[in-house]
Amino acid sequence: MSNRPPGEKKPVLQAPLATEAITQVKRLSDKQPTTFIGRMKNELQFIRGRGAFEISIVLAVLLIGYIVASVISPTGFAFLNPNNLSGVISQSIPVLAILGLAAGILMIAGEFDLSLGPAITFNAIVFIKFSESFGLAAGIIGGILSGVFIALVNGSIVVFTRIPSFIATLGMSFFWAGASIFVNGTTPAILTKSRDEVMVFLFAQDFGSFRSQLVWLLILGVLAWFFLHRHKLGNHIFAVGGNESAAEAISINSKKIKLIAFATFGGLVGFASILIAVRTSSMQPGGSATQDFTLFAIAAAVVGGTSLNGGRGSVIGIIVGAALIELIRNGLLLAKAPGFYITLFVGITIVIASIFNKVMEGKAR
Amino acid sequence: MSTPLLRVQGVTKKYGPNTVLNDVSFEIGKSEVVGLLGDNGAGKSTLVKIMSGVVDATAGEFFWDGTKIENINREKTEELGVETIFQDSALVPQMSITRNIFMGREITNKLGLMKIKEMDAITADVLDSVVTIEGIKSPKQLVSSLSGGQAQAVAIARAVHFKRSLLILDEPTSALAVRATEALLDYLRQLKGEGVSSVLVTHNLHHAYQVCDRHIVMNHGRKILDVRKEDTTVEELTAAVVGGAEGIRRYREGKK
Ligand SMILES: Nc1ncnc2c1ncn2[C@@H]1O[C@H](COP(=O)(O)OP(=O)(O)O)[C@@H](O)[C@H]1O
Ligand SMILES: [Mg+2]
Repeated sequence: MSNRPPGEKKPVLQAPLATEAITQVKRLSDKQPTTFIGRMKNELQFIRGRGAFEISIVLAVLLIGYIVASVISPTGFAFLNPNNLSGVISQSIPVLAILGLAAGILMIAGEFDLSLGPAITFNAIVFIKFSESFGLAAGIIGGILSGVFIALVNGSIVVFTRIPSFIATLGMSFFWAGASIFVNGTTPAILTKSRDEVMVFLFAQDFGSFRSQLVWLLILGVLAWFFLHRHKLGNHIFAVGGNESAAEAISINSKKIKLIAFATFGGLVGFASILIAVRTSSMQPGGSATQDFTLFAIAAAVVGGTSLNGGRGSVIGIIVGAALIELIRNGLLLAKAPGFYITLFVGITIVIASIFNKVMEGKAR
Repeated sequence: MSTPLLRVQGVTKKYGPNTVLNDVSFEIGKSEVVGLLGDNGAGKSTLVKIMSGVVDATAGEFFWDGTKIENINREKTEELGVETIFQDSALVPQMSITRNIFMGREITNKLGLMKIKEMDAITADVLDSVVTIEGIKSPKQLVSSLSGGQAQAVAIARAVHFKRSLLILDEPTSALAVRATEALLDYLRQLKGEGVSSVLVTHNLHHAYQVCDRHIVMNHGRKILDVRKEDTTVEELTAAVVGGAEGIRRYREGKK
């Protein structure tokens, strides 16, 4: 106590050491950095162990490799070809990244939704039918609300019955695949007269070096970042996914938070469904065309450092994870690798990323 | 005596066929420190969870300052100013110290966005004024990187920061070093002066005897003893915790 200013409140758990008289114990509040650089260093130090930083380095190395290969052999490995660049960076990556953010937010809350692929089909059909019949605005609202609705149905089953979301949403994935055939028959839903300049400008315009989809990723990425990392609801999502009973003990309603996570998931999936529908102009009911998205979205989240057990993940990590997967896919295509190579390499990437996550989680513990 | 702060009447809790709490009634006075004692499995933690509103009782009534609390839940007890350190499940390991301390009570702007700098500063302050536990480097540190004692100190700091009328501590010292434990017991004594009641759950009778005004001993889900400090001894408490109702009877007979 002798080295503290007089009149200061005595710490509750103060445990004076015999040596305290000689070793001035610095107070925590005095130790915090005040300069901008100091704060950044502090941030970095405590943000490490969440995976986003490491995965970004992997992405950077891969990109440099691709650029070098493409410069050496512009025709053999046409990565820098403007068509290729715009296709990958502005089309594939944004769609997978938005789906990855959706799956990632849900995973952070401790849940999964395996009906993502069939839900895309259903949402896209709703978007197409509404756009054709009632105009673009109705289509957009319909597509997004369809996503929210599907996710809330799935989420309610999971939250109120406490059936593991893996099982519940696996079952529901068949239901939604069937539902899309139920509403549209077995013939594809097609965008015709409603696919006008406005719709294309909003969701699929080629601006030369980038496309509309990339702009949407930036907007949604920033919104997701504020929601997940700065908003109190995001904080509750991490809390519920990390330790549900600790969150409930402090009067956080975990059911409500999980339903909010499901609804956010659904809204993002609904939006991605619109991007997919406008790009392809049609959607085949049944869900086989969109099946792959389910696992690729989860893969993007996992590669980006999202924990399979909930409570850990970041927006930047997930976007980088999606970019990494799409770049690997693109590289293999450019190198004219046979189709199965792509699945094989993506599989290996996911497993390596999970092992890496596990190691990081162990280190953070 | 004036109206008790909290009166618990006839609490019973069943988990399937097991009756974990059997018709338990007691009172917590204003500015009183109550020791809740008993062997492992006696039902102390369950009782704490019910009093805090995170677990529903099978039967029982609760009165706060004389007024009945209908449908007790965590939102209501929070409003009343009850702050609990639960034995298990206190913190989220993947989150920072600041985010744990302000979990569910974040300081936000009108849009609900958190004021992180402000929360970090308060956390540093709270940790300074509540605990002098060495080795905590920053409020941004993840709880998973803390030792058991440090994590327990963070949980205590949170409860102390937010407590208003009743502080419930379920085995708060299990991971604390001796000196920190002594300091916590000191603090509980000091709380009385501030008009805050507290419940200390422990199976360390000497800790309880040092600070508590009254002792409640639980045994297999029943309350078997409820005595003021001046009417009992450490020996009697020991007999009750170890031997149950039978133990108390033998102890009292032995004394005659
Ligand atoms: N969620 C639960 N489900 C079933 N039994 C439980 C549950 N929680 C506690 N119990 C049982 O209730 C009894 C009392 O436990 P507890 O309240 O933790 O005792 P204490 O804190 O006194 O050691 C134990 O037998 C325990 O197994
Ligand atoms: Mg206990």
